[in-house]
Amino acid sequence: MEQEYTYATAVARLEEILQLVQNANEDIDRLYKLLKEADELIKFCRARLYEVDGEVKSILDSLGAE
Amino acid sequence: MSNENPLSLSALNGLVRVAIEEQMPLRYWVTGELSEVRTTSVGHCYIELIERDEATGEMRAKARGTIWSRVYSLLRPYFLQQTGREFTVGLKVLLQVTVNFHELYGFSLDVCDIEPAYTLGDMARQRMLIVQRLTDEGVIDLNKELPFPLLPKRVAVISSATAAGYGDFCDQLNSNLYGFKFDVGLFASPMQGAKVEEGIISALNAIASDVNAWDVVVIIRGGGATSDLSCFDTYDLANNCAQFPLPIITGIGHQRDDTLLDIVAHTRVKTPTAAAELLIHAMLQQAEQLAALQRAIPEAVTQRIANEQRRLDNILQRLPMNVAMLLQQQHHKIDMLEQKMHSFSPERILARGYTLTLCDGRIVGSAAQLKPGDRVVTRFADGEVESEIVKSEN
Repeated sequence: MEQEYTYATAVARLEEILQLVQNANEDIDRLYKLLKEADELIKFCRARLYEVDGEVKSILDSLGAE
Repeated sequence: MSNENPLSLSALNGLVRVAIEEQMPLRYWVTGELSEVRTTSVGHCYIELIERDEATGEMRAKARGTIWSRVYSLLRPYFLQQTGREFTVGLKVLLQVTVNFHELYGFSLDVCDIEPAYTLGDMARQRMLIVQRLTDEGVIDLNKELPFPLLPKRVAVISSATAAGYGDFCDQLNSNLYGFKFDVGLFASPMQGAKVEEGIISALNAIASDVNAWDVVVIIRGGGATSDLSCFDTYDLANNCAQFPLPIITGIGHQRDDTLLDIVAHTRVKTPTAAAELLIHAMLQQAEQLAALQRAIPEAVTQRIANEQRRLDNILQRLPMNVAMLLQQQHHKIDMLEQKMHSFSPERILARGYTLTLCDGRIVGSAAQLKPGDRVVTRFADGEVESEIVKSEN
């Protein structure tokens, strides 16, 4: 992805993509690009839902070390 | 009375005792504040009851009292169950007493019963005053007004590390059926007794020092409904929680009215397990929304492509018909032109009796072009004749 997404902005972009692909005026040549972008965004969002990031653990470790 | 036959002190005190016993033989209901509560190893409870001036807070009356163990062993659990408070210093109480005077120990009250509703009323009044103060200061709803995070996965827990409630919470969170992963950090604090306020506030401060690392704060505590929850009813604790920059969820496990902590918290649930369920549910909502988008986008694309296909088919179908029409139009145009052209042809002119004169194969359009002796060809509709110029005038 080109931009830094948060979960909230990623979901908002997905909703926007849905609108775009439903819109008959949207250039058919862009559909593939949008679909590809949607796929990446969904992967990103799923990762936020189902995976942990190491950030919290490292903070707790550093708190414990103090 | 003369001073020749003085009474012994015990005799005097004996008179006082008799006077009191005769004059005050009943049981009396009395209100007061507990300024001292002390239990002995055999289970008796010694108290000191005081009355203060409402306005100045100055002490106006004081009496010692005793609750014998056979009374206290029933009174204490009854009071705790009814009020949610231990029978401790600072409480306003309504006690049924008998008035005693002992020659050696002096004046004291024997407690025979208590009315917990009075204490409850006073506690409610105290809480109302704090609620009013937080409202006046404009902080009471601050935590509630914070947006709840879309994904509450980084969870700072304030609990006592050994409490069953914390274990229940972690179990519930980690064993969720959907496979959501949470990051849980424990900020330990006592969850009962006098140290609760200080403990929770310092845990909140520790979380606040790295506030971006967390999505949500959960304050939980296991245990029954009969514990003393007054420690969650203080102004400082409520004020700190109300102004905390992350949403706070409380699950401090009790049946009676909400504590002040619950009142200012973003979301209040009954138990640690319910707090975990709340977080899982929030994640589930997002997962469902994401799944819906994941279905809808390819569907919409497929639909779009099908629409375009139909459009193309339509064009292709109409194309041959349009070409045929176009050809016919052109045909007609050419016929018209042909007819027009035909009416201007030299043959048509010759047929009408005109002739064409040629000299050396070129059309002669002027008499000046010819001189005597030139040979010319005159073309008619049915043939040609050749002649020689005899005379030219022009």
